[in-house]
Parts: sequence; structure tokens; C-alpha cells
Amino acid sequence: MNDPVLVVQGLTVYRGAHPAVQEVSFTVPAGTDTAIIGPNGAGKSTLIQAVLGILPRQAGQVSVLGHPLSAKGYLPAAVRQQIAYLPQNFLLDRRIPITVSELVGLGWDRVGPQLPWVGGRVRHQAVRAALTQVEAWRLRDQLVSSLSGGETKRVLLAYCLVRPRLLLILDEAPAGLDALGESEFYQLLHQLKREQGWAILQISHDLEMVRQSCDRVLCMNRTLLCQGAPDHALSPEQLSLAYGSDFVRYRHTCQLPHHHDY
Amino acid sequence: MGRISFAIATPVNFPTIMTIEAEFTRVIQLFQLPFMQRALMGGVLTGAMGGLLGSFTILRQLSFFSDVLGHSALLGISIGLLLGFNPSWVLLPFSVIFALVVTYFLERTHLWTDALLNIIYSSSLAVGIILLSFRDKYQGGITHLLFGDILAVQTTDLIFSVVLLGVCAGFIGLTLRSQILLTLHEPMAIARGVSVSAQRTAFIVLLALVVGISIKAIGVLLISAFVVIPACAARLLSRKFTNYILISAGLGAVSAVIGMLLSALFDLPSGPSIVAVQLGIFLLTLLIPTARVLAP
Repeated sequence: MNDPVLVVQGLTVYRGAHPAVQEVSFTVPAGTDTAIIGPNGAGKSTLIQAVLGILPRQAGQVSVLGHPLSAKGYLPAAVRQQIAYLPQNFLLDRRIPITVSELVGLGWDRVGPQLPWVGGRVRHQAVRAALTQVEAWRLRDQLVSSLSGGETKRVLLAYCLVRPRLLLILDEAPAGLDALGESEFYQLLHQLKREQGWAILQISHDLEMVRQSCDRVLCMNRTLLCQGAPDHALSPEQLSLAYGSDFVRYRHTCQLPHHHDY
Repeated sequence: MGRISFAIATPVNFPTIMTIEAEFTRVIQLFQLPFMQRALMGGVLTGAMGGLLGSFTILRQLSFFSDVLGHSALLGISIGLLLGFNPSWVLLPFSVIFALVVTYFLERTHLWTDALLNIIYSSSLAVGIILLSFRDKYQGGITHLLFGDILAVQTTDLIFSVVLLGVCAGFIGLTLRSQILLTLHEPMAIARGVSVSAQRTAFIVLLALVVGISIKAIGVLLISAFVVIPACAARLLSRKFTNYILISAGLGAVSAVIGMLLSALFDLPSGPSIVAVQLGIFLLTLLIPTARVLAP
């Protein structure tokens, strides 16, 4: 097994007085694609935000590339550079004047004080390469607020790959896209993953995509119910733990004509 | 309120009486007077600072917050007068502490931001006026507090303003990328390692200082115009974020120059003249199709 990029041990996160995530432990090995599945309100987004230090945790340890995430969410800048995060809903205020190339450039910048013109040419070349890779260079001068949902997702992927990364964290990244857009997004994501060698931790409700493309699955409902290879974690027994037996029965009924394996 | 006619030998109230050339000569002579030069410089510095910070203020929906800061200055001045201190010296620390306390309340309560700001806004104004009533011989007068007196700007005020503009420009310049990301999407900024709390606090402190230092020249009622109007006009003229910030600061400074000139030419109150020019520029930008202007 590859070295772990992310190690989470006994993570507990409270939302108000109640635990939204309780005693969750898992690892994400380098270059692998791990999916988090579970019903709405299961604490999936909370888990990811605590892993990134966006939300405070009440217990447990998080370690990224061997560096522990401090209680206040601090990670060394060099480690942060290796992480890219795409939120569930990238709802940009349409009144904010920012072009596609400016947004992608923000993914290249290092955190900390620096003169605004530092790295101008290198930065521009990196932005150009990233946008070209996702076939969005033609959009470079457009306002981000004028993009379609699919174009926005492409640009956000360019934001991730404008600098070499080791860990990509996606919170239902294709949310809001239609079936075709979602399919194109995943196709591009998996192509880039192969090329870049990213480790991916993603929340998804698309169980078929998870079955076909992911290496590992974490099934959770506040606490971790199961984890393992897709065949194991997506078995009817495991899914009924997270979603309930009605969901599994309904899913089974829908899939019978297609001769799926459960 | 800073009418300029007090300072000239032969006041003329309407340019049609004299030739245009004579009017311009009069204005040029006027701007050779030290107090007018200080006023012009003060207006440019205040306009540039307001435009610079205003660009982020409106995008972070802090416009009303800056208005509340302006009105709270009345309370700060009242406290300074009651305690027997120079109100100008009390105003800056008061503005910063007040801004931090308001930010704390906004973060800790689950009330609507505008409702909470309204409570603070009206109550600080009420308490400030009550406190002022105990000092019935306040020399500055309530009118100067409300509308400011840019012609009374002193060299010390200018030095403070220059230093503060330098600090603001340095802060925004060095943290520009983090500030943009923070404005766009806070969780993404945190994920990138931006110290959101520190950046936000630093910005609020600078905004409070800019408002505090500008009260003397612009007044409690008009200060938020310096923060909001140039930024809104710049937004209508910009497609790129970096252009937007520069245009906002530039419009703030240019408005001050034009406003002061018009004020001198037509013997109008200076602070309101600058705000009227800001409004005029804003209305002009509404007429320009955004997509064609300053397109990259």
C-alpha cells in the first residue's frame, strides 16, 4: 500500500450540542480515490471541513503528509500547498469582478505576504497550462460569474491543478450539474487523477460512479459504519446500515432489469 | 462646513459675474493658500484610502458597518470631551475598540447583521448626543461633527493620513491574493491556509482607523460615502479584481480633487461637494456599458 497522505484518528466534531461526527478513523493512501457516502445529515461535509481545519474538532487527530493539523487548524504552508479543496456549492457572488484566469491564479499563489507582481510570468504560464489542460483557455478573460455550471467546474479543476498537489478534497463537486455534465466532470477528474497522481477524498451520492472509479469507500452516518473496497462497502448489507433497508430494497428493484450484482 | 469664501479677498458667488478666466485665476490663487493645499491633500488622501478599503468593504457587505463606525465617532468624541481629552486623540483608539467589539457581537450572536448594526448605530448616536448635551460649550459644534471641516485639516492630520494610506496600501498589496480568496470563498481560503480571523481583524482595524481619521475632514454623516461610492462606481467599470481596487482608490482621489475645485469655484461646502462629485461619477458609470469598458 502507498504511504498515507491523510490519516484521521478518532475524529469527533460537534455541531452545537450534538456530535455530527463521532470517533471516525481512516487513512487515504497516496494516489488513491476514496469516496465518502452516506445519507443527508450524516456528517460527511462536517468531516471534510474538520479535516481541512475549517471547523474545529472536539477530539481526535488529523495528519496530512505526516504533519499534524493543530487544534486551531494550522498546517505548514508547504503542506497546505499540496491540498486543493472544492466546496459543495461554489456560489460566487455575481457582483464580484473576477476573471477566470484571476481565479485560477489564486490556486497557484502561496499563502503569506508577497508583492502582488511576484511570479508574474511563471504564474501566467501555470494558469495557461492548467486552463489548457481542462480545455478552458478560451474562457480565461470571462467573468467567473458568467460561466455555466459545467464551465465553472472545469475552471475549478484548473484551480486545483495549476500547481502540483498530492491531495484533492471534493465535497460533492459535481452538484448542480445535469447527468451529462456530471459524467463529463468525472471523466475529466479521473483523467487528471491518472496524470497528476492525486489522492482524492470525495463526498459522493453517485454510488455507481463510486463503484466503478473509487479505490476505497467510507460509509458513514455520524460515525463510520464501514470502510473498504467498493464491492464490500456497497454491498446491500452495508448500505442498509447507512441508508436503511427500504433504500436498498428500492435500489435493488430499480436495478433488477440491468442484471447488476446486487 | 468648510465654505471657502471666508478666505478670499473678493468673494464672488457666481462665475457668470466675472469672466471664466478671472474665476480660474481666483481658484488658482485660492489653492496657493496653505490651508487650501492641506484641504486638497487631505481630501485626496481620504478619498484614496476610502476607495482602497471600500473596494473590499462593499464586496464583503460591510457598507453598513462602515456607516455605523462613522456614526459611532460621535460617541467617541462625546466621551473624549466629557473626560477632558482632545477628541481627535480619543477618536482613533475609540474607533478601533468599537469596531472590534461590534465585530465580536456580529460573530457571537445569531441575529441578522443589519438589525444588530441598526441597534448599535442608533443607540451609539443617541448616547453620543446625550453625552454632548452635558457639554453645552463645545467649540467644535455639532455641525462640524456631522459634516466635517476639510479646510481645518492640519499638518499633523496629513502626516497621520499619509502613514495610514501607506499602511493600508502595504497591507492590501502584500496580502492581495489572500484578501481576494477570502472575499470569494472563506472555506476555500481557510483550506489554502489563509489566517481568516487575523486577516479579517486587521482589515476591520484599518477600516476603523480610516473612518476615525477622516471624521474631522468629512464628518460623521458623509464618511461612509467615501468608502462606498467610489467602490461601487469602480465595480461598474471593472472586469478584473486588481483593476477594480486601483480604480476604486483612483476614483476616490480624483473625486476629491474635482470636488475641491468645484467647491472653490462655486463657493460650496467642500465635503458635500466631494460626495456630490462621487455621486456624479457613479451616475456616469451607470451609463457606460460595463462589458466594453476596461475589458482585459
